[in-house]
Amino acid sequence: MTDQVSDMDLQETLADRRIVGLWRLMRGYRLIFIIATLSIGVAAMARAGTYLLLGKYVDEILVAENAIRLLPLVALAFLGLALIQGGATYFSGRLAGKTAEGIAKRTREYLFDHLQRLPFRYHDKARTGELVQRSTSDVDAIRRFFSEQAIGVGRIVLLFVVNLAVLISLDARLALLSVLVVPITIAMSFYFFRKISNAYEAYQEQEATLSTRLQENLSGVRVVKAFARQEYERSKFDVENWEKFTRGRYVLRLHSVYWPISDILSSFQLLFGLTVGALMVMDGMITIGTYVAYAGMIIWIIWPIRNLGRLVTQMSSGLVSYGRVTEIIKEPEEPLDVGDYVPTEAPAGGLEFAGVEFEYEAGNAVLKDIDLRVQPGQVVALLGPTGSGKSSLVNLLPRFYEYTGGSLKLDGVELNDYPRSYLRGHIGIVEQEPFLFSRTIRENIAYGVQRDVSQDEIEAAARAAAIHDVILGFSEGYDTLVGERGVTLSGGQKQRIAIARTLLADPQILILDDSTSSVDPETEALIRAALESLMQDRTSFVIAHRIQSLMRADLILVLDGGSIVQRGTHEELLEEGGLYEQIHDAQTRIEDELEREIAGV
Amino acid sequence: MPVSDFGFEEEDFTTSFSGQTLKRILAQARPHWRRVLGFLLTIALVSTVDSIFTFITAKMIDDGILANDRAALLEWVALYAGLIFVSAVGVFGFIYLAGVLGELIRYDMRRSLFNHLQELSLSYFDRTPVGWIISRVTSDTDRVAELVTWGLLDVTWGIFNIVTAMIFMVIINWQLALIVFAFVPVIVISALEFRKRILGEFRLVRKINSKITGAFNESVTGVRVTKALGREEENLREFGGLTSDMYKAGFRAAWLSALFLPIVQIVSAFAVGAVVWFGGLQFLSGAMTIGGISAFVSYIVFMLWPVQEMARVYAELQHALASGERVFSLMDSIPEISDRPEAFDPGSILGDIEFDHIDFHYDPESPVLRDFSLSVPRGETIALVGPTGGGKSTIVNLLSRFYEPTGGEIRIGGQDYTGFSLEAIHSRLGMVLQTPHLFSGTVMDNIRYGHLEADDAEVERAARIAGAHDFIIEMEEGYETEVGEGGVLLSVGQKQLISLARAILADPEIFIMDEATSSVDTLTESLIQRGIEAMMTDRTSFIIAHRLSTIKRADRILVIEEGKIAEMGSHVELLHARGHYYRLYTQQFRRQLEQEYEVFGAPSPATA
Repeated sequence: MTDQVSDMDLQETLADRRIVGLWRLMRGYRLIFIIATLSIGVAAMARAGTYLLLGKYVDEILVAENAIRLLPLVALAFLGLALIQGGATYFSGRLAGKTAEGIAKRTREYLFDHLQRLPFRYHDKARTGELVQRSTSDVDAIRRFFSEQAIGVGRIVLLFVVNLAVLISLDARLALLSVLVVPITIAMSFYFFRKISNAYEAYQEQEATLSTRLQENLSGVRVVKAFARQEYERSKFDVENWEKFTRGRYVLRLHSVYWPISDILSSFQLLFGLTVGALMVMDGMITIGTYVAYAGMIIWIIWPIRNLGRLVTQMSSGLVSYGRVTEIIKEPEEPLDVGDYVPTEAPAGGLEFAGVEFEYEAGNAVLKDIDLRVQPGQVVALLGPTGSGKSSLVNLLPRFYEYTGGSLKLDGVELNDYPRSYLRGHIGIVEQEPFLFSRTIRENIAYGVQRDVSQDEIEAAARAAAIHDVILGFSEGYDTLVGERGVTLSGGQKQRIAIARTLLADPQILILDDSTSSVDPETEALIRAALESLMQDRTSFVIAHRIQSLMRADLILVLDGGSIVQRGTHEELLEEGGLYEQIHDAQTRIEDELEREIAGV
Repeated sequence: MPVSDFGFEEEDFTTSFSGQTLKRILAQARPHWRRVLGFLLTIALVSTVDSIFTFITAKMIDDGILANDRAALLEWVALYAGLIFVSAVGVFGFIYLAGVLGELIRYDMRRSLFNHLQELSLSYFDRTPVGWIISRVTSDTDRVAELVTWGLLDVTWGIFNIVTAMIFMVIINWQLALIVFAFVPVIVISALEFRKRILGEFRLVRKINSKITGAFNESVTGVRVTKALGREEENLREFGGLTSDMYKAGFRAAWLSALFLPIVQIVSAFAVGAVVWFGGLQFLSGAMTIGGISAFVSYIVFMLWPVQEMARVYAELQHALASGERVFSLMDSIPEISDRPEAFDPGSILGDIEFDHIDFHYDPESPVLRDFSLSVPRGETIALVGPTGGGKSTIVNLLSRFYEPTGGEIRIGGQDYTGFSLEAIHSRLGMVLQTPHLFSGTVMDNIRYGHLEADDAEVERAARIAGAHDFIIEMEEGYETEVGEGGVLLSVGQKQLISLARAILADPEIFIMDEATSSVDTLTESLIQRGIEAMMTDRTSFIIAHRLSTIKRADRILVIEEGKIAEMGSHVELLHARGHYYRLYTQQFRRQLEQEYEVFGAPSPATA
């Protein structure tokens, strides 16, 4: 029962009413959750049974002064009832735990997978912190909804109902007189807990503010010290710190008012019931045994009910969390494996753009009327100012974004007919500032291939990417962790690991950003060589930042404002003049100026 | 919060009981001993009254009902009613006293931690993760405060509850009371043992949970790579391992918790059984009353709550002790650099600066500077260039006395600077960092940070000199614009200009700048250059330089490699030498001009 449900599509659970959505989310756990609730009823009945037994024992053994032989049996019966009560309580907690943990697991897994299948468009706008928050704390709130709140409300209600029913069966008038204040208690409890939850939220907010102040002070410690501003910082922190104290005090004031009042109310109800009952015994209307049973049960009606407001308030915040989670769930995924054309072979890598248009938002064209033909194995360099559409153009190839007009064919077949997984499996990307995962270097290099990779293969890729020697320099070699818990890699090193990662994946089409972070000339040459070997025999799109890429390109595209304004080889473009020539002139001027500068001194 | 911080915390958990730490934790409440006494008395009162209630109920049965004495019944009722108010006052008292005390202790501890943090040396912050410190100041102080207030309160309540119940049981029937007492240790011990186990389970849950958070974080941050490499299935499979662990641990924690109460209840049911049995026998022999038996049953049932609470406190005690240890370790850490006993303020630090055979290491195994000597006449501008890790930052860190040399002497105006007070040096220092750090607040607040007493006009003047004024007034709210946490709402170039204005306003005698490597647009760049130029007049300046114009403007250029001065001289001299500097310069020159001419349309982001 534990692992079966992770494949449930949570999108199907969405409903206009959140409570309905939660019910659907419970699929597979509904029965056990109902059993969990019913078990609480059983426990409540066993508890009431204990008091009834106590009453009988008083009346029929003590008062009647007989059946002494039955005493051990009665004692055993008490134990038996305790076992039933304990067993049912445990059973209920266990089943509720199973439900809650199961649903949390299901939701976590769904969200994790869902997030990695949401399109770029979604991730462009979403904030990481918020997504993580929703996937963790909000899911935990849903878990608590089932494991603590829903079941807790059930417990209070059932204790109340069961005990009241038994009381009524003992004596209806007495029962009624014993719950006079209950409506008031419930109303007060609802009012109070709503109020306190707001106050508590304000308190928590201040906690967050305080942490932020501290965080800022710590990350700016050099500034604080350099300007000798310790006193100033202290007084600033103290303001927030004191504010937190005052908000905390307010929360406590609310508590210190509510509980005594609620205590007085409930205690007087209790005393009233006990007095009325006592008088009834004296008038011969009920037996002393009934009275003893009553005195035990009445407490379970009056006291727990005061917490009803707390649980209901918490439940509503659980519902809010659920609402936040559904906002992610309802976003449509991009299908990875859907496509009419699934070749078994790798693509040759010929591309044909015909009037391709692309816009992020309607009316805001990023690419306009792109016509382009690329032969397999060609190197295409893209050149142009920021926002000219270079990245957008290459992002269309793995279908990170969908072109909004025209036709784009890979090996003669419309790109939209290929499943995304196929395209991404055969297109490699080396970004400017590549993202590495906090795993070992080996795992990072092997990240793109879904098979067992031998150490030889990994080393070969690392060598070709000119990073092998650097890796061996780390104390744990290929097993060195990357990131916070391991080594901090420079931009150039990250880039070369990404190159190794791409080499190992062996894609047919390549997209790369050839900028290198500021590295020394030797390293620059190494990276250059690594990139060269990467581009060998692959259709390559290079977002160019350096002249060498242009020289090597079979085709240079100059983009401006989403259109290709110039195209050709280096020589052709030079002859043609225009933007390319200007760029090239600037480049030559640089060399001239350097000469002059050095000659001049 | 980064995953590693959680790991850090868990490893730090001590399992040994430390009386010393407990004493020190309790000492946190000493300044507020009246409150402590107050809540201890009120909780004792409340818990005693609770036991009295049960006793009165028994008396109502025996002396009222069974004796058929209405007057006696009503007397007991009246006493009960009176005590309800006493109890309510007590409840009010302990909630308020203990609660506010808790907040006070939190306030005190946060305050003294923060104040202490301001004293600690930079080396401390270089080796301690920010997340770790934040946890000390927030969650650990919380736990310590909980222990001194609610923990102490629950234990007091529990003890009083049990002891008074015992007293009343003895009063009612001492033989039966002795039988019940035999069960008490069993109940208490089983509760404690159970609690410890549950706590361990929850700790495991938290550990896995932090891994899950880390996994989500990485998955969302790296989603582009995942998509590009088609790793979705594999990632989900790996994540499935984590959620399965979480399920197992969570479920185990859930059912262990669910088992706790029933176990304690069943143990106590034995006590109830014994009461029914022997109490019945005694009743029949006239030694026990019905009210007495009923009271015994109530006492046993209600004893479960204090036992449960005390078990909880006991289990959390370990945790609170560990928290306390960590908090105190932070409080006790001694600033490595502090004023010498006879430290003085020389009145000015604008003098010749002498690095005299300086040795320095962060870690004795790998020295950063060895026998480094340099003298800088007052007013000179020094540009430091060279590869990362060569020692440039160390030189300015030593000059700022964020660190002190491990060998040799730094003299300012002929005097060893360790004789000066830190305040004397820092208050005359102007610093612009590579990644400019702004505080949340307005632009005005941030510039004024350089000189708190400056009026608006002076702030504006500094902003003009720095070249920041124009872009500031272009913003909708001008100088009152909020910069956001860490200045996120501004561009890097804007942050640089503001931090430059801040340094200008401070009117320092020594100016230190670590130039940003990340590129800014040409206009901002020239503004920054003008600002730096304004800054360099009439003070001694040290600039870790990345921009050619800055380098060329320096009086002297130092090429620092492997903790040594590899080359030194003016721009012209060094170019002629055709050595390290020449290579650095030509490479930098090409790169920079490529950017300036926007050869490739966009500046290539240099990330050193």
